[in-house]
Amino acid sequence: MAAAFTRGAPQPGGAEMTVPLLVARDIAKAFGGTQALKGVSLDIAPGEIHGLVGANGAGKSTFIRILAGLNHPDAGRIELDGRRQEIGTPQRATELGMSFIHQELAFVPGMTVLQNIMLGVPKKTRFGLTDWRAIARDVAPIAGRVGISAPLNASVKGLSTAEIWLINICRALVRKARLIVMDEPTASLAAGEAERLFAIVRDLSASGVSVLYISHRLDEILNLCTRVSVFRDGRSVAELAGDALHRPALVEAIVGGAIRDTQRTATARARGGVVLEAKNLTRVPKVRGVSLELHAGEVLGIGGLVGAGRTELARLLFGADRPDSGEMALMGRPYTPSSPAAAVQVGLGLVPEERRAEALFLSKSIAFNLSIANLDRVAFGRYLPLMNRRARTSMAGEMIRALSIKARNASTPVGRLSGGNQQKVAIGRWLQRIPKVLILDEPTRGVDIGARTEIHRLIRQQAEAGMAVLVISSEPDELPELCDRVLVMAEGRIVRELTGLAMSRKAIVEASYVEP
Amino acid sequence: MSDVAISARRLSPGTKAALGIFARYGTIIGLLAMIVTFSILSPAAFPTVGNFTNVLNQASLAMIIAGGLTLAVVVGELDLSIGFAASLHGILITGFVVHDKLPIPLGVVIVIALGAVIGLVNGFIVTKIKVNSVIATLGVGTILTGLAFAYSAGVPIVAGVPEAFLQLSLGRWLFGIPNNIIVMILVLGGLWVLVERTPLGQEIQAVGGNAVAARLAGVNVDRIKILGFVISGMCAALTGILLASRLGSGTASAADSYLLTAFAAVFLGSATLRDGEFHVLGTLVGALIIAFGFNGLNIFGAPTFSQYVLQGAILIIAVGMASLGRSLAER
Ligand SMILES: Nc1ncnc2c1ncn2[C@@H]1O[C@H](COP(=O)(O)OP(=O)(O)OP(=O)(O)O)[C@@H](O)[C@H]1O
Ligand SMILES: [Mg+2]
Repeated sequence: MAAAFTRGAPQPGGAEMTVPLLVARDIAKAFGGTQALKGVSLDIAPGEIHGLVGANGAGKSTFIRILAGLNHPDAGRIELDGRRQEIGTPQRATELGMSFIHQELAFVPGMTVLQNIMLGVPKKTRFGLTDWRAIARDVAPIAGRVGISAPLNASVKGLSTAEIWLINICRALVRKARLIVMDEPTASLAAGEAERLFAIVRDLSASGVSVLYISHRLDEILNLCTRVSVFRDGRSVAELAGDALHRPALVEAIVGGAIRDTQRTATARARGGVVLEAKNLTRVPKVRGVSLELHAGEVLGIGGLVGAGRTELARLLFGADRPDSGEMALMGRPYTPSSPAAAVQVGLGLVPEERRAEALFLSKSIAFNLSIANLDRVAFGRYLPLMNRRARTSMAGEMIRALSIKARNASTPVGRLSGGNQQKVAIGRWLQRIPKVLILDEPTRGVDIGARTEIHRLIRQQAEAGMAVLVISSEPDELPELCDRVLVMAEGRIVRELTGLAMSRKAIVEASYVEP
Repeated sequence: MSDVAISARRLSPGTKAALGIFARYGTIIGLLAMIVTFSILSPAAFPTVGNFTNVLNQASLAMIIAGGLTLAVVVGELDLSIGFAASLHGILITGFVVHDKLPIPLGVVIVIALGAVIGLVNGFIVTKIKVNSVIATLGVGTILTGLAFAYSAGVPIVAGVPEAFLQLSLGRWLFGIPNNIIVMILVLGGLWVLVERTPLGQEIQAVGGNAVAARLAGVNVDRIKILGFVISGMCAALTGILLASRLGSGTASAADSYLLTAFAAVFLGSATLRDGEFHVLGTLVGALIIAFGFNGLNIFGAPTFSQYVLQGAILIIAVGMASLGRSLAER
């Protein structure tokens, strides 16, 4: 462990003089036999933007679940304003001035924006009834400040992840939180939205609100935070600030050694023939006349803002929705999938955007989740339709090793894994099947830097073996790193094609805002 | 280095482990405790091979219909038509055998096929017309009751029931084990293998676990749901046939009350071994709890009403304790 340990280094803004807002010492927590936290410590000054980083399963989410009163620590001490506190329940955490935006966003689909903002907040009443009109008057300026564009009385159903995220921020502000904890806030935001989020975070900090900011995106961390704590395997291994806070130091502290960055070979590989073709594919309002060709052996990226229609396009290609008009062809033959099952039959695979809602069976084992798209391979045979459990376990074992999924064994329920490890399971299912065409919607969302490199390597490897891969990503850095070619979508149309050296973060972001 | 015992409310890891075990094994422990208690209180009448065989024999019909219902709930739907369907099936089989003089095996095959058709109808209404399964199966069940009255004109078919038909349910086979028990073991065993040990069973569990994810993983969700209803319908038919044979008559509404027993067994089962999931083995345990509970009360001469009170109370307590224990153990 060679990471610079700079606890006690002078903190910007003379924060060393003030009493820290929050102090956590030697927090430990076990789930059954898994020691998720072995002893982590951290303190946050008033108005500080404190970063928290660590590999998937390092214990970040567990730590903040403890702060939030959702889990109870087995050992350790938590102080707020220098006074020792028992958090115990989420209500208590709120009373203490902490507000949480968890990795898996909380919202109630059937309610309005305003009702969601006021969820769990004591409300003004008039004649014993909730006075929504007065509440709306109070909330409106705060909603404006964080940039909620939807009307307060609109239903949250159909709102984008970004907007739901803003609702969560707004709720924290309405509660007058002094510490807002954000678990991977930008994981599902596009570049422009992320910028707005950063502005909000800086604004909060300037007004004295502290922020604990968890992310796998080191650029954001470096950009925003004044101090960064690093967790590894359930322990705090470093606290970096000032001059010691730079990317190599962070990476080293996170992985506990140097990381081998896979350099892209600039040489364009020979790509194969067209595998999947779409002509004028339309499904209003999200997809409008999209045409594309996907070749064997290529990784084709689709960039653009969240809401540009990329996920909807993927669903059309995968047979999850039916197009209003337009044509598709697979291997030169007309392709009109009536359902995802039909698409899978002819050789497609999709890693959906929302892993918990759309991809995973949380109460089921890793082996179950991996094998569900590969059932023909776990049967004893065509005439003996029994499941070969040993084959299933060993197949799962291979994937767990290949993707370094952090879990006790193949029978661990997926719901018990950390967010990033869940994502690996969702991808592993298809890597095991090896479809002709694999569509990945935000494949490395919430995945740590080591695993991200690994997932990219596996995707490239599959492409080299002849698979046609379509990758959707809102992270502008990811596509140039991974793809042979990038299409940028805006408002349901493809507005730009970028290849070779023209694929850059800047070009993608610029094209994303193009008026189609 | 660390301060221990931060709060009096905090549960020790040992307590948590115990709660976790209780949540999973509580129903089984309860079942065993009940058997032990009854055995101590009534050593002569309760713990005998004869009584146990009798309890199982009595409970077999409920277990079969509950086993079928388990498949419907595993795929994430409810089937409220089973009791009414079983009543209709009982009348039909008696009618076929007594009035139409059909050979018994043929009658049985026709009625079970009919059960499958009812399941198919339920499944289509739910998956294709997208009617909520509670409404759909309640509607279908009500129609079936109407059909039962129409077929029997409201009069039970009692006269002329052939001995061979009675022997379906009353007969004994291998080592003198009652046929009902043998059929029950075959049905539940088959269902367990289907759900737990076949690739198709994986799809069944996937659909119940997360239908959206199952669809995007390439599972034909509608087909699996329809299958769940079909199996539920076939099991209801089997129970209807065996009940008619046991009663020696076809009576409208005879099997209606199996609906409640089956639901109680299935939900008790969801509190067994697995965290709130429905499964065949759990249903078996649930049905046993109800059966032994009734039997014990009978032996002590408790009035009928108390049996219903017992059934309701056991259900709420068992499911409630399991979910409470689980949530405490998780924190
Ligand atoms: N309810 C639970 N039951 C059992 N194990 C759990 C549970 N919750 C978390 N864990 C385990 O604790 C460890 C830490 O998980 P945690 O979610 O805190 O990681 P993380 O740092 O947030 O990772 P990520 O970046 O992937 O979100 C993991 O090994 C995880 O499997
Ligand atoms: Mg996490």
